[in-house]
Amino acid sequence: MWAFIIRKLVYNIPVYLAIIFLLMVLLRQRDPVTGKLGKNATQEDYISKRKEFGLDQPIYLQYGVLLKSIFTFDFSQESWNEPGVTVGEKLRTAVPRSLALTVPALGITTVISIFVAMLSAFYRGRWIDRLLVFCAVLGMSVSFLVYIIFGQYFGAYKLQQWLGTPVFSIHGYESGLLNWPFFMLLPVLISVIVSMGYDTRFYRAVMVEETQADYITTARAKGAPQSKVMFVHMLRNAMIPIVTRVMITLPFLVTGSILLEEFFGIPGMGYVLLSAIRNDDFPVVEGFTAVFAGLFIMSIIATDILYAVFDPRVRLQ
Amino acid sequence: MKQKHAITSLLQLFSLRFNLTGVAALILTCGLLGPFSYGQSEIVLRLPMPTTGPNSLDPVRGASQYDNVAASYVYETLLEYEYLTRPYKLKPCLLESMPEVSEDGKTFSFKLRDDIYFHDDPCFEDGKGRKVVTRDVFYSLKRMADTDNQPKSWWLMQDTIKGFDQYRKEQNEAERFDYDAPVAGMVEINDHEFQIVLNQPFIRFQYTLAMFQTSVLPREAVEHYQDRISRHPVGTGPFILEHWETGLQMVYRRNPNYRDVRYPADPGMKDDATPPYQGYAQDKALGMYDCAGERLPLADKVVLTMFQKNAPAWLKFLNKELDYTRVASENFSQAFIKRKRTLRPSFEAQGMRVVALPLLDMVYNGFNMEDPDYGGYTDQKKWVRQAISLAMDLDEVNEAFYDGINLIYDGPIPSGLDGHPEGHTAAVNYRGPNLQKARELLKKSGHPNGEGLPPLVYYTSQQAQSREMAYMTARNLKKIGIKMEVNALDFSELSEKMREKGAPFFGLAWGSDYPDAENNLQLFYGPFKSPMSNNFNYDRPQYNELYEEIRVMPASPERTAKYVKMRNMIIEDVPMIGAMARTRYYLIHDRLKNFKPEETFSNWVKYLTIK
Repeated sequence: MWAFIIRKLVYNIPVYLAIIFLLMVLLRQRDPVTGKLGKNATQEDYISKRKEFGLDQPIYLQYGVLLKSIFTFDFSQESWNEPGVTVGEKLRTAVPRSLALTVPALGITTVISIFVAMLSAFYRGRWIDRLLVFCAVLGMSVSFLVYIIFGQYFGAYKLQQWLGTPVFSIHGYESGLLNWPFFMLLPVLISVIVSMGYDTRFYRAVMVEETQADYITTARAKGAPQSKVMFVHMLRNAMIPIVTRVMITLPFLVTGSILLEEFFGIPGMGYVLLSAIRNDDFPVVEGFTAVFAGLFIMSIIATDILYAVFDPRVRLQ
Repeated sequence: MKQKHAITSLLQLFSLRFNLTGVAALILTCGLLGPFSYGQSEIVLRLPMPTTGPNSLDPVRGASQYDNVAASYVYETLLEYEYLTRPYKLKPCLLESMPEVSEDGKTFSFKLRDDIYFHDDPCFEDGKGRKVVTRDVFYSLKRMADTDNQPKSWWLMQDTIKGFDQYRKEQNEAERFDYDAPVAGMVEINDHEFQIVLNQPFIRFQYTLAMFQTSVLPREAVEHYQDRISRHPVGTGPFILEHWETGLQMVYRRNPNYRDVRYPADPGMKDDATPPYQGYAQDKALGMYDCAGERLPLADKVVLTMFQKNAPAWLKFLNKELDYTRVASENFSQAFIKRKRTLRPSFEAQGMRVVALPLLDMVYNGFNMEDPDYGGYTDQKKWVRQAISLAMDLDEVNEAFYDGINLIYDGPIPSGLDGHPEGHTAAVNYRGPNLQKARELLKKSGHPNGEGLPPLVYYTSQQAQSREMAYMTARNLKKIGIKMEVNALDFSELSEKMREKGAPFFGLAWGSDYPDAENNLQLFYGPFKSPMSNNFNYDRPQYNELYEEIRVMPASPERTAKYVKMRNMIIEDVPMIGAMARTRYYLIHDRLKNFKPEETFSNWVKYLTIK
């Protein structure tokens, strides 16, 4: 297995280097300097600012400097937009906040979606299945933004009007487990509702395929109880697509949810990244992408490993 | 008890026991936790900031209005504006009295107050803030010259103080920037008295001394915090920054060592029974003098919350979690009866009040005067631009995109300033829509129905509804046969386009830095052409001469006459079309007292309280 992991890592190094290079080139299609000068800036101010940002250097040198900082885990470069704050600090503070939103959302969504998908597959073609599929499609059809605005209005604002006490925060964030329900539960619930539609439909399709497999018919013919057929035989064999989907999602947990974070005022990674892109804060965008691309490659390798865990037919070679 | 509820609820959630009891407990938990986040016994102001917040609290690095607001709580300047008086009037802040100005207008003599101390901070010995002295003022000004500080406001000092430009050049070229090196125009008399000598008697200088970029800060703090000074301000202001959650919230605490400054006393009516200033009667009726004589700041704590989106800010205000809000266009019809622009009864019944604040603002379309097709100073070129101006309908733009609340005026001088046209309309103007006259002018220029003119390439920002506004303009220009191509760029790309003189026609806005038309008229001064602030690249010797005269003239009828002359030159040459000043609607809860919204200066939070 270690040989497999090392081989995979080596294969992915050029991919990683290419991602970083591509990002650098794409970012530098824009000139970030003009927007960061004050009123009445002169040409000398412009040149001085370019030099300060290191943009006067040839691209290969800038690339080298960036790679060095990535491979030495040195994220001490200052944000261009927030002088005095390093990229590392921004990542360190924003990522846990995003995780506080996305991890519970993913966990709840996955568990509920698998359960609903199994139910739907079990009652395939009957009214329960149709109702669940209808709800899933309906959930997918409504814009995320609508859920957020309605959720904020009814779930936070109106609920408080009705109950006379605030239940969920309209906007804002405070850290700590005890503050989590007040500030984070509503966005988590919205995220769950939005994601459930997509996940349920996907998992249902996987389950339906499994219910038609010969081993299920055999298990039933042998008189295995329904719960055992579903939770032991069917679920285990449906795990590969489920694991793939979940694993692919994992790196995105770090990115947070841009819309939810923006509307609910949760200063997570989505919020930070969007702000960095809007403000041409290259060090933050580059630092974040470096981390994200690394995590993404790791998760792909981890997915391959998990295939072998869940399916004995798969061999890591 | 609360903790037990929280943990129980969470366990129920994660074990997916979504029964009614669980949900009820969860709701109760959330409800119990929510409102206990803030203390109840102190006066807390909860104010909004419609952005991700300031980028830096270092005065020399700050440039935006949001930097100004956030820095103004902690830092102070030599001068400040009188809070309630209109038109704007400067008064001493860190000074004992207004500076004495020599007869030639070049030498300013200052005397610092003797009771001003910096905030207590670990950067000082024993952590106790020390007294402010002359050296602090000079040090703070010199920081604007040090390029290592990434100053954004050197233009305020450029060519202003005697020897300062030379000092800047020498020190930035030297191995180490020497803050102790002398500047000819900065003369220390003693710890509390000093003089500043100007190259010329620039009128702008006095306003500069009230701008947050010239705030006074201690050298110890800069040396102690270095780059972190932008996150850790140490000033003399009424509040101390306690906590800053980037992009979300800033919390300020009352400065316990703030000097004895009192809320302004009621000036009363003048002897001739006229009000002491514009809007006095209204201020009096609103109880603006109820706190007269009380020690500042009136509040114990200020919670400044940033909102990237209008919707949550609006809901928070309705929920009484904010003391005031700016009314965004999407909420305008919810709050106001649009036709009458009065507050809806349901809002009035809650005790809310509204203030419409016309900004010192200029939203305009501009031409690059160096463009070979649409720029230039010949009559033919001028007639084409006049025709374009006449084809445009700013009233339609105002109605369609701003609920008709903005003020349209001729020329570049906003309302309330010397030189602004009476009734907002200049005697000779090219304000549209007047298609017939536009067509006549086009014909006269040799381009009947726009024949022979290439498409007019227009650049605007992607923000808000700029693109839609541009299409409306394109539609109107089509009526006189001129084709307009619209390019919407993000702000940095648009700025770059301006810097490179690459935009023949563009849409921009300018907010005045100080209440003097000179600030707007400098936008057309030849030597300030792109990449500096004259994006029009307007360069007319007559105008330049007038500008050089007015920038050293004190306010007087003669100066106003020159302002009018310059304004009329701009209207006639049409390097810009417009302008329009935005009006900001503020909705204020009854509990917030003494609030008179203002965006030209920002250090008014010390006057606010909750009752």
